[in-house]
Amino acid sequence: MLRSRIRHVVAAALVAILVAAGSPAGAQEKSRMDIVLERGKLIVVTLTTVPPFAFNDDKGQLVGFDIDIARLVATALFKDPNKVEFVSVSAEGRWPAIESGRADMGVGGTTTYPDRAIRVAFTRPFIDSGISVLVSKKSGIKSLKDLDQDKYTIANLNNPQMADRAKRFFPKTKILTFDTPSAQFLAVKSGRANALQIDTPSAEYWAAQNKDELEVLPGLLGASQNNGIFMKPGDFKWWQWLDTAVAEMRTGSWYPQYSEIYHKWFGKKPPPQKFYLQQ
Amino acid sequence: MPPGSLALLAQGAVVSLLLAAAAIVGGTLLAVLLATIAFSRFAAVRAVYRVYVYVVRGTPLLVLALLLFYAMPALDLRTGPYIAGTLVLIVYTGALFAEVFRGGVLAIPRPQWESARSLGLPPLAMFRKIVAPLVTRYTLPPYVNVCVMSVKASSVLSIISVWELTLAAREIIERTFAVFTILGLAAAFYFVMCFGIDRLGRLLERHLALKGFAGERA
Amino acid sequence: MNFARWVAIYGPTYLTGLGWTAVTAVGAACGALIWGCALLLIRLSAGRWGARGVDAYVQLFRNTPVLLPIYLIYFAFPMIGLPWPAVVCGGLALILQNGAYISEILRGSVNAIDRVQFDAARSIGLAPWSTFRKVVLPQVLVYSIPALGNQTVLLLKDTSLLSAISITELTMQAKLLTEQTGAAYEAFIVVALLYLLLVSGTEVLFRVTHRAVRWR
Repeated sequence: MLRSRIRHVVAAALVAILVAAGSPAGAQEKSRMDIVLERGKLIVVTLTTVPPFAFNDDKGQLVGFDIDIARLVATALFKDPNKVEFVSVSAEGRWPAIESGRADMGVGGTTTYPDRAIRVAFTRPFIDSGISVLVSKKSGIKSLKDLDQDKYTIANLNNPQMADRAKRFFPKTKILTFDTPSAQFLAVKSGRANALQIDTPSAEYWAAQNKDELEVLPGLLGASQNNGIFMKPGDFKWWQWLDTAVAEMRTGSWYPQYSEIYHKWFGKKPPPQKFYLQQ
Repeated sequence: MPPGSLALLAQGAVVSLLLAAAAIVGGTLLAVLLATIAFSRFAAVRAVYRVYVYVVRGTPLLVLALLLFYAMPALDLRTGPYIAGTLVLIVYTGALFAEVFRGGVLAIPRPQWESARSLGLPPLAMFRKIVAPLVTRYTLPPYVNVCVMSVKASSVLSIISVWELTLAAREIIERTFAVFTILGLAAAFYFVMCFGIDRLGRLLERHLALKGFAGERA
Repeated sequence: MNFARWVAIYGPTYLTGLGWTAVTAVGAACGALIWGCALLLIRLSAGRWGARGVDAYVQLFRNTPVLLPIYLIYFAFPMIGLPWPAVVCGGLALILQNGAYISEILRGSVNAIDRVQFDAARSIGLAPWSTFRKVVLPQVLVYSIPALGNQTVLLLKDTSLLSAISITELTMQAKLLTEQTGAAYEAFIVVALLYLLLVSGTEVLFRVTHRAVRWR
């Protein structure tokens, strides 16, 4: 009697395990859209040391352009910009946080790259970006060609695109790799490195804050790039909604709110919402 | 010193202490379970214990944390840095505590076992009245040592972006560059916490010795 | 892709990481041993204040995590004009930390030396430094080999923290590979296995040394 009951329990446990193991791969998983609406709160993963996208101000509050955009998304969902929870990670921690389902979406100066898009899905860009090189004035580097010498060191973030660009644009320079943009920045400020590569808005922000010591090299490393909101791939309902929200922010009904945020952080008007509507 | 940094560091210290507390409580519970496995009748079960301790003690804590943090998505568990970090700490301290308990049990002199058995006590009573007090006396110093190690281990979790004292210090430094001041303050916080735990442990030891461990004095 | 294929393709890239881990571990271990002996010497010969000073030093490093000196030396020293390379900074932090623990280990062993030996040394006119070098140190070191082996394993594991200051040792290598290949746990499982190998190797090394020396 007991033995058969044990057998039943074991069988039930095995079935439960198989179902649990099978269901992530199953196609009938609930959309993240429904989960978020049910939960009543948006969970966003973000880097927290990429000013002006996302950073801690002097009071320790998380602020920034991307933070405000995330709050705008929460407003669209719940009519309340405070129904957001932010999960802070270092650069390589963004993907596990999305893949594990801990966060619904991610922001934080994250650029869209094809190889990155294999792991996470991106909305259309909510802001243009590009990669610039920030150098310390003491080093005397005036151009990319100057940088490409054995005696200089550049601080990279630990993602493959940075390593690629380093190989392509300045192969001779020595490389230091860090896991947060602020560590890169500290490396340059403390003299460990002579330069760093980062999104142009961040480079310009840091240069503006440290006018005597740092400056941004003219030109972009490569093309103008797109920063988007990223999320777990395969969830069409969620991606479609987020992408629609971003489209409306940049070119449609939510342009005024987007403009306001843009002006707050960049001090200028965003690109016109339609090319034929010059402002 | 940058304004507000003392408050932030204090908050970070509280988080570090909480992480260590979770590790100590969870680790002790896990260690009790592991220690019972360590003394099992079956060689295969004992081998499980040995493999567990070998792996956990032979791998750096950072690698364990990164493994859990990155492997979590593959196991489809909804965890963020905090849960992964706490789990790793519990796994880590569990192994350390288990070795401490095992050492404590092994240190009990044979005559005690024999006299306990000759008394005909049931296993639970034997455990409660004889094994536990003796093991406590032998293991209190190394136990307190592992508690101190838990506080220090929490600083490693800063690398998987668990916000605690070390990460708080790093963030302030990366914003303000007051490296010496902030790291000095952070070191002071850690020192107070670790030294405090150490002293508490010694106080406890003396107190228990006065009361008599195995019920020598009622 | 499956585990075996991933290892076959990316295995060799771990060699750089292995090299750096080994180099920093061996260097820091030797340095820590020397520093630990120096601390012991100070404790034994500089009277009450020497002993108190070493005590304070040991308490400081026992009650603070090793990441703090690593960050301090790496980021702060360039600001005061000492831009040492990352390996030196990390190695120095490890040496300072582990030297404290080693001096405590050696101190425990010193008490095991029979007092008679000190009298004998004085009676044949040995200067304090020679006494230390020829009488105390050899016995203390031999006696401490098991505990030193344990401490070396801890040091080896602490080298993984050097990834925070951009040294391309094993842990950093694993992080880079994870980012490059998108492989979540393959990179870290291989690194964990490599560390286990290194740790076991170190333990075997110390056990063999202990047995060999005990014969003398």
